Amino acid sequence: MKTLAALCLLTAASLAAQVPAPPSAPARPRFGLISRAVPDPAAVERGQKIFSANCGFCHGTAAQGGDTGPDLVRSPLALDDERGDKIGPVILEGRAGKGMPAFHLPADQIQDIAAFLRSRQQAAIDRNAYTILDVVTGDRQKGRDYFNGAGRCNTCHSPTGDLAGIAKKYDAVTLQSRFLYPRAAQIRPQVTVTLASGQTFSGTLDYLDDFNIALRDASGEYHSFSRDARLKIDIHDPLAAHAELLKGYTDSEMHNVLAYLETLK
Amino acid sequence: MRLARVSLLLAFPLGALFSQGLDPAQLLKPPTDTWPTYNGDYSGRRFSSLSRINSSNVTAMTLAWEYRLDAGSGTLTSSIKSTPLEVAGVLYFTLPDHAWAVDARTGRQLWHYQWQSHGGIHIGSRGFGMYGSWLYFETPDNYLISLNAKDGSERWHVEIADVNQEYFSTPAPIVIRNHIIVGVGGDSLDVPGYLESRDPETGQLQWRWNTTPRKGEAGAETWPNPEAMEHGGGMTWVPGTYDPELNLYYLGTGNPNPVMAGQGRKGSNLWTCSIVALNPDTGKLAWYFQASPHDTHDWDAAETPVLVDGEIDGRPRKLLAQSSRNGYFFVLDRTNGKNILSKPFIDLNWSKGLDAKGQPIGNPAKEPQPDGTLVIPAQGGAANWPSPSFDPETGLFYVNAVSSYSLYYLTDTGDKPEGYGGRDSGVYSTVALKAIDYRTGQIRWTHDYKRGGGTIGILTTAGKLLFTGDPSGNFVVYNPASGEILWHAHLISTVSNGPMTYELDGRQYVVVGAGDTLYGFTLLQ
Repeated sequence: MKTLAALCLLTAASLAAQVPAPPSAPARPRFGLISRAVPDPAAVERGQKIFSANCGFCHGTAAQGGDTGPDLVRSPLALDDERGDKIGPVILEGRAGKGMPAFHLPADQIQDIAAFLRSRQQAAIDRNAYTILDVVTGDRQKGRDYFNGAGRCNTCHSPTGDLAGIAKKYDAVTLQSRFLYPRAAQIRPQVTVTLASGQTFSGTLDYLDDFNIALRDASGEYHSFSRDARLKIDIHDPLAAHAELLKGYTDSEMHNVLAYLETLK
Repeated sequence: MRLARVSLLLAFPLGALFSQGLDPAQLLKPPTDTWPTYNGDYSGRRFSSLSRINSSNVTAMTLAWEYRLDAGSGTLTSSIKSTPLEVAGVLYFTLPDHAWAVDARTGRQLWHYQWQSHGGIHIGSRGFGMYGSWLYFETPDNYLISLNAKDGSERWHVEIADVNQEYFSTPAPIVIRNHIIVGVGGDSLDVPGYLESRDPETGQLQWRWNTTPRKGEAGAETWPNPEAMEHGGGMTWVPGTYDPELNLYYLGTGNPNPVMAGQGRKGSNLWTCSIVALNPDTGKLAWYFQASPHDTHDWDAAETPVLVDGEIDGRPRKLLAQSSRNGYFFVLDRTNGKNILSKPFIDLNWSKGLDAKGQPIGNPAKEPQPDGTLVIPAQGGAANWPSPSFDPETGLFYVNAVSSYSLYYLTDTGDKPEGYGGRDSGVYSTVALKAIDYRTGQIRWTHDYKRGGGTIGILTTAGKLLFTGDPSGNFVVYNPASGEILWHAHLISTVSNGPMTYELDGRQYVVVGAGDTLYGFTLLQ
């Protein structure tokens, strides 16, 4: 791979007049998932059209490769490229041994193709931006049966009460994970702490580990206690039933419940 | 080999040289005043024979010093994940692009080194390897850097992988004789994994072992085509362990790529998600055991393969134990890789049982689906890179085990997905410290934490103590036989590395990193 890159650098030097110049000051490297410069969207759009017209027949319109041309999304050469400095010589000269003809494209079009390829690479790399497909695949009637039956969801929830309009509040993907286990920050356990003296403090649980416990009472005041054997702690976690249900869901039950909740608009 | 030994002798003509350095022979039986390699010794047990701090006096353990990272004008991009080395009274540790030496008695900074990065994901750095007076560490942009331990000056750097191909490196190099064994990381865009041995004097390549086969090689039958295996991932994220008698280096390999979309790589995808034994002189594979055949959940098998000299059915055995990211506890015969035990250490829901080799059989219905499937554990796994510990005195293997639920989505349904090809969305998790009997896989005791989180590193000692962090930011000492809590201190953040220990001038120190601060504890005097 290194040899290949070095060879291409040599080729690039001999073609310097035709190959786009690199930008004068390289951008500061970034240290996250996308660590290289994100190309200009207008260049990507132009590059997609140029690529599709000239390269798509062999390399596929999405650059993932085809019957006669390799994948360029995961191509070491295309990944090493900066604004056409590596792919430019290949485009201009072709690869006679591998059946690739030369394409006499101007430098700005090569830069646009490079921008398109970088964009395709970054779309594959940026997994946090992947689009989740249709998740509403269940049977809503069966979901309702589960809600009112085996799941015992109706013990705490009502489609015309707290869940009215829930499907308007959250998109389907968010709703799928939130109904399984709602975000704890919004629904905190309630706790009563009883001291050895018999004095009690009640409120919303603020902190709990093996050594300390803290709560906020109804007036907003913060109380913290060291945990020892004489301290009595009663915690009511309204989400305990959600944690318990997680152990038993089948995937179809989960999808059915979501399909039912999606009717609550 | 013979030549290598000669040059080793020439390089270290006098024992006196080692007042500042580390003779690789010391790695075979580390003295109690050093912690000379990532796991303290080659076994990966993270058990120390020190007992000056013990169950009868640990309540008098107190802070000796703390060192808050000073990176000069540089930026810190990770918590302390490195386990410091301690040699001749100096601690050496790293962060992405940064390295420090601090006085092991006082926490005073001796030097700081900064690398000018070219990029790469800055997720963490596991630390140094040491050979003589030279230190070695890896950077996110995949350079192996050798520093002079005396003053932190750079001796050389060599590139071990290309950052433009989306590699980023995290492991601590492991030194075996004159081999500096380095691994690579990077799972964003389907690059192939490998392990390399480098020359300690020059950084030149000695051998490379690919974690996936090339066309025509053994293992190729577990992939559909050469392109799939050459883009098949299998990173070497975490340092391995070594048995000098067998001369085998043990390593857990990473998951295959594309990470969550397996339709383009049908087959078991060797040697990803495997525990492998390699000859450290040649890089040749001696045996393998695959923890997750055809993984689609990002459950690498990179967790430390811990060497246990134990007994099975009354016979002494050379064993290897791993608490794997997929939720299974595996015990193997480390002479040949034969499975002795495969037993889940959390309640998982993705396995249909075991094959004839003791390898789990995944349930295809629990592979990522377009509309989501609910799977235990989540992508982060039941265990991960933070070190487990094995205490030979209790015969128990300890791991902070995560029981987590996650929705796994297949986002790329095409024939040839790329990158991850899917996503996961964490739903709920709990964490517990578990003590596992290596003979049976039975969990002898469990300590449930009061909140969820990730797994955290563990140390056990002959002082009948177990040191670890909890998800609430406490550094806690337990009785390793019973799980009873003996001592704790609340730190600035959650423990972020594996605790380590050493003795200097008759005082035992326990050092742990939390966020941006390194803490040294010792007994009140």
